[in-house]
Amino acid sequence: MKQYIWKRVLTGALVVLFSVLFNFVLMRLAPGDPTRLLAGKENPNPATILALQERYGLNKPIMVQFVLYIKQLLHGDFGFSYVSNRPVLTIIGERFGATILLAVVGLIIEITVGILLGVHAAQHQGSKFDTILNGISYFFDSTPAFWLGLMIILLFSSTLHLLPTSGMYNVRENYQGFRRVLDVGYHMILPTLTMVVLNIPYYFRITRSSVMETMNEDYIMTLRSTGMPEKQIFRKYVLRNALLPIITVVGITMAYMITGVAFIEIVFAWPGMGRLMLNSITTRDYPVLSGIYLLLSISVAVMMIVVDVVYAYADPRIRYED
Amino acid sequence: MSLLEVKDVSITYQMPNKSVYAVQNVNLTLNEQESVGIVGESGSGKSTLAMGILRLLPSNAKITGEALLHGEDIFKMSDKRLREVRWVNMSVVFQKAMNAMSPVHKIGLQMLDIYKVHYPDTPDAEIKTKIIELFKIVNLPPRVYDSYPHELSGGMMQRVAIALSLIFQPEMLIMDEATTALDVVTQSQILDEIMDLEKNMNIARIMITHDVSVVASTCKRVVVMYAGQMMEDGDVTDVLVKPKHPYTKGLLNSFPSFSGEKTELRGIPGNLPDLSILAKGCVFADRCPYAKEKCFNEKPELKTIAGNWHTACHYPLGEEDNA
Repeated sequence: MKQYIWKRVLTGALVVLFSVLFNFVLMRLAPGDPTRLLAGKENPNPATILALQERYGLNKPIMVQFVLYIKQLLHGDFGFSYVSNRPVLTIIGERFGATILLAVVGLIIEITVGILLGVHAAQHQGSKFDTILNGISYFFDSTPAFWLGLMIILLFSSTLHLLPTSGMYNVRENYQGFRRVLDVGYHMILPTLTMVVLNIPYYFRITRSSVMETMNEDYIMTLRSTGMPEKQIFRKYVLRNALLPIITVVGITMAYMITGVAFIEIVFAWPGMGRLMLNSITTRDYPVLSGIYLLLSISVAVMMIVVDVVYAYADPRIRYED
Repeated sequence: MSLLEVKDVSITYQMPNKSVYAVQNVNLTLNEQESVGIVGESGSGKSTLAMGILRLLPSNAKITGEALLHGEDIFKMSDKRLREVRWVNMSVVFQKAMNAMSPVHKIGLQMLDIYKVHYPDTPDAEIKTKIIELFKIVNLPPRVYDSYPHELSGGMMQRVAIALSLIFQPEMLIMDEATTALDVVTQSQILDEIMDLEKNMNIARIMITHDVSVVASTCKRVVVMYAGQMMEDGDVTDVLVKPKHPYTKGLLNSFPSFSGEKTELRGIPGNLPDLSILAKGCVFADRCPYAKEKCFNEKPELKTIAGNWHTACHYPLGEEDNA
């Protein structure tokens, strides 16, 4: 088991290293010369350019530049934004919390509700509840996030005037303390609703099919033939076995949760990483973009390790592989 | 009174647009400590019959007739009564032993759980001792108790499944193709073990298989089934030696014999009929080399040849046909 975990961690580290390399190469391949940009557009002084190249190490061999780049990253130096000239890490740090808040709250709700509905539907396969829910799940699974977001805004904000259309808090009032928490919660309702409605079908269907498949397994038939009550079979054996494919799916969505909420953030003007990414793309703010990509690849790698380890605990067959 | 009496049992699968007559009018008696083999090719309804007796069929299967366990109809038992009877009075070993136990729970733990279904107050340590004793009987090492199913070989899992079925020393054991997936060496070892166990534990056995040789070596009586119907039944020494039904003969000709002279290995030409259509005459007539006009128009009843030997054929084979 220890060996298994170490292997996963090592693989994860390799993934991160490769994404750093890729990031580095991408930046060097981008057209234009940053020193020219920094030195000024009209007839820059060659001495200034040389000085800038010296300062950023751009006159050194590419391999040395790469090592320098990694060194900077390890010191938390992700460079400066072209647009605001503030440190990239600070900019991302401001937005990271908002994304995590939205993503985590949404994930908890959608996973819980999706799994509960899926289990119930599988137990009452073919019932009205099952049929209707199945239909709804296909509908929302094929609905684009931005469309649903706009429709929800149209209904709850424009027509019913119940909830705010966008943002994370009331800028005019700028509440503090507990009222601030309430205010953020109030602003979170619509984006969370959109996200949850869009993602529940996913968990619902994987749970439903996994539970149904497990109920038809031979070992469940064995247990049934021993006279074990259905409730005990279901709680102890069906659910435990049906959990395995669900863990995989939940793991994958958790790994991509930051990018997963990007659309929602854009529609609801939520001040998170998704919007930051969109803004950086439109303003060609490469340092911020590369910072975001790095963070994303690290979070994906870390989540994958976590999922692999959780999976190994859940499924004894995995533990002894390799 | 017999241990199990199956009387005129028919099982029909109700499909949205048709009915599949999987088992028709089967009669079977199993006395205490007796062993009966049910043979037939795939799709002949032997497993459906067994699952029907165990009441493990899906809800679209309609059962008629009676299956009397000590005179009590299994088909009419309440769910509670059925749970009491299961495993204590009748247990089963399924074909796919590799998949017979939950892959994510340790084998010992699952057996412990099953034990507690019927005797919830027994202390864990006592149950564990019992299970390990049982392992010893079926030639399994004690470490199996703490193993997961994927850590064992197919033969070992088959032994686990057998140990599990014997946990309460049931009166009746149904083995549904229980050794089919094993290699012949392991199969014969396990069959020998089973026969020893039966003598010691007073177990009656229903053996479902397509392998006539397994029935010949381990059963006292045999029922030959085809397309859901009984073709012939009687003592193994009669039915498998001088078959009266052309189907039994065809089945026997499909297996090579180890001793005796080399004979041509012949299958039975044709395929199983469509079970959703009820035949007017004998179900085997289409494939029967001896079929006459009457066979296509009139359904043969089970007729007694001698004692408990019956066959459902208008023109039972004579001595000269088996020469």
